[in-house]
Amino acid sequence: MTMLPLLLYTIAGVAYAFSFARRSQRTGRLATASLAGAALIHTFVIGMRTVEVGQLPFVGTAAAISAFVWLLAVAYLYTEVTTDERAMGVFIVPLLVVLEGVSALSDRVIEPAPVLDSPWFAVHVSSLLFAYAAFALACVIGITYVLLFRELKSKRLGFFAARLPSLQVLDAMNGRAVSVGWLFLTAGLAVGAVWLFQLQPETMDPRVRAMSLFDPKISVVVLSWLVYSFEIYARRAIGWSGKRAAWLSAVGFSIILLNLVPVGYFLTDSHNF
Amino acid sequence: MDLLLLGMSHHTAPVDLRERVDFSRRGVSEALRELAACPSPTEAVVLTTCNRAEIYVACEDSETTRHGLERFMSRFHDVPEHDLAPHLYVHTGADVARHLFRVAAGLDSLVVGEPQIFGQIKDAYAVASRERRTGALLNKLFPWSFAVGKRVRADTGLGEGAVSVSYTAISLARKIFGSLKALRVLVVGAGEMAELTATHLRSQQVGRIGVTSRTRARADALARKVDGTAVDWTAVDDELLEADIVVTATGASTPIISTTTIDRIMRARRNRPLFIIDIGLPRDVEPDAGDLEQVFLYNIDDLRSIVSENLARRQEQTARAEAMVSNEVEAFVVWLRSRGTIPTVVALRRRFESIRQAELKRFESKLSGLSPEARARVDEVTQLLVQKLLLTPTERLKTAADEATAAQYAEIITQLFGLAADAPTDAPAAAPATRAPSPSPSTSKTPVAS
Repeated sequence: MTMLPLLLYTIAGVAYAFSFARRSQRTGRLATASLAGAALIHTFVIGMRTVEVGQLPFVGTAAAISAFVWLLAVAYLYTEVTTDERAMGVFIVPLLVVLEGVSALSDRVIEPAPVLDSPWFAVHVSSLLFAYAAFALACVIGITYVLLFRELKSKRLGFFAARLPSLQVLDAMNGRAVSVGWLFLTAGLAVGAVWLFQLQPETMDPRVRAMSLFDPKISVVVLSWLVYSFEIYARRAIGWSGKRAAWLSAVGFSIILLNLVPVGYFLTDSHNF
Repeated sequence: MDLLLLGMSHHTAPVDLRERVDFSRRGVSEALRELAACPSPTEAVVLTTCNRAEIYVACEDSETTRHGLERFMSRFHDVPEHDLAPHLYVHTGADVARHLFRVAAGLDSLVVGEPQIFGQIKDAYAVASRERRTGALLNKLFPWSFAVGKRVRADTGLGEGAVSVSYTAISLARKIFGSLKALRVLVVGAGEMAELTATHLRSQQVGRIGVTSRTRARADALARKVDGTAVDWTAVDDELLEADIVVTATGASTPIISTTTIDRIMRARRNRPLFIIDIGLPRDVEPDAGDLEQVFLYNIDDLRSIVSENLARRQEQTARAEAMVSNEVEAFVVWLRSRGTIPTVVALRRRFESIRQAELKRFESKLSGLSPEARARVDEVTQLLVQKLLLTPTERLKTAADEATAAQYAEIITQLFGLAADAPTDAPAAAPATRAPSPSPSTSKTPVAS
């Protein structure tokens, strides 16, 4: 059952690639439909898992990644439907496939630790995952911006100019995605910090005791917060929009990916539930 | 009933003749009404553009109709027949479909893939429909051509990429800014090129156009023409701060806008993108300015090279487009051929229906005891039976591989069922239909004409 969303995301990925390359409207609609189908099935899988473990399945890196994939798919579908722009799908869906693949391969049902049985937990994790989904979108939008920017600068309009929306639209979308992501990231971190201060004096769980700014998982996420804060500040105050904002979004999301997979799996002492 | 096309275009006639043979001068409706007075064509559509004048008709006798149309063209436009004849082309049957599909796809246009022709064909068909001059044949052919035109453009990208310098500038602006509606434009120079580009931008409903020139009076004049504002030559820097698109087309012998100026302005603009179209020769803007991050600087050669790349790309796609047109023509021919068998199909149905009615009549006395519901059920069952029995032979007849086979099938059915005596003499196709059938070119299946 956990493999089914992966399979459907893969099909959607192929359809998006085909519709992007051939600019076929019909395949494009098929791609959207298959991604919507994949997200729907994924919703059922997450729902079943919720019933199975008795709370939202965010415990363990694999489950968190899978929830992130689901959120990103839904956020992307929302963006596609509201802007009527399908060109970004070819960049987003492969990311979904890879991450869902990582998640599916290491998937196992984890009984939640007693310490996680708290409403703070759901708010903390869902805010952060939503922020990551927004940053993933911003990163992809940024990459497409740079691709189109290069074509326009080199004065050889071709593949991307024919398929992507205008630079200004991409830049505005990037700005919006980063702002939304930053709000959720800040909220998620704040909730996590408050929760930690409540927990630390009383719990003996070594993972909770290991939570500090020096734990890689936490220091890396704070680093990404700094990058995005700078991006927002620089866009407003010193005119770092366009290409610079695009690069910053790509750097920010690389840090998040680093945190989500290698740090989440191997390096952290605090967040390995 | 056959299809016939008589026309002239930029391929066959010089511009002075095309100007004289322009249906739009006296009106397409009038042409259609005069054509209606001619004896032969039962359906007609007149297509007129600046590059072509064509009459599409459905007629019984192509040869007679052709002469009639030639005389009509000569009379209507007051051009002697011998002047006209060498420049006319004539197509019949499937070639008419091929020609129209190619025209609709933009393959026959002066600039391959140009989009206007598509709307012009739609208009021509709409006028003919309004004048009730279209019937079964043209009501199938024209909507089919719209579908072909649309699909060829969508699948091959034949109509994509600007193929004129000014349109290239506008499409670049769209790629940078998206909508041009609220943008500010600064035109530097007031010559012919500046005017042409400013006019194009005005037609895109940009926010504000500022015009500046060393000679204030010329700036004022151009500003009035393009509904813009004249700006003092000394205030160019301030205007550059606000502008999104700058068009420079002065006759200056050295660049009038330096990289240093633009660099300074970009800082003050906080890197807001600036699109500079430098169509001056020699160039008005130092080329290095294009290296600044958010400056998109295109000179006349850049624009021209994009135009030629787009033209080359369109050429590459024409082979694919031609293949698509050929497939559609084949499908249309199958439909056309199936019409030839319609009289047989109709006769066959009539024969079966008369048998059904006769048998019901024969059993009238036995059926009279039935309730009205049961009676209706008997009627329904017998009708269904006849329909089922006729389904396969009708389909086979209409989808016969070629004309000879279709004729052979029709002959056999006529003989076997003794249809010769009661075959309808007038094909239903001859009756002008007022309702346009929905275009279904993807399939060769057609509605049963009964």
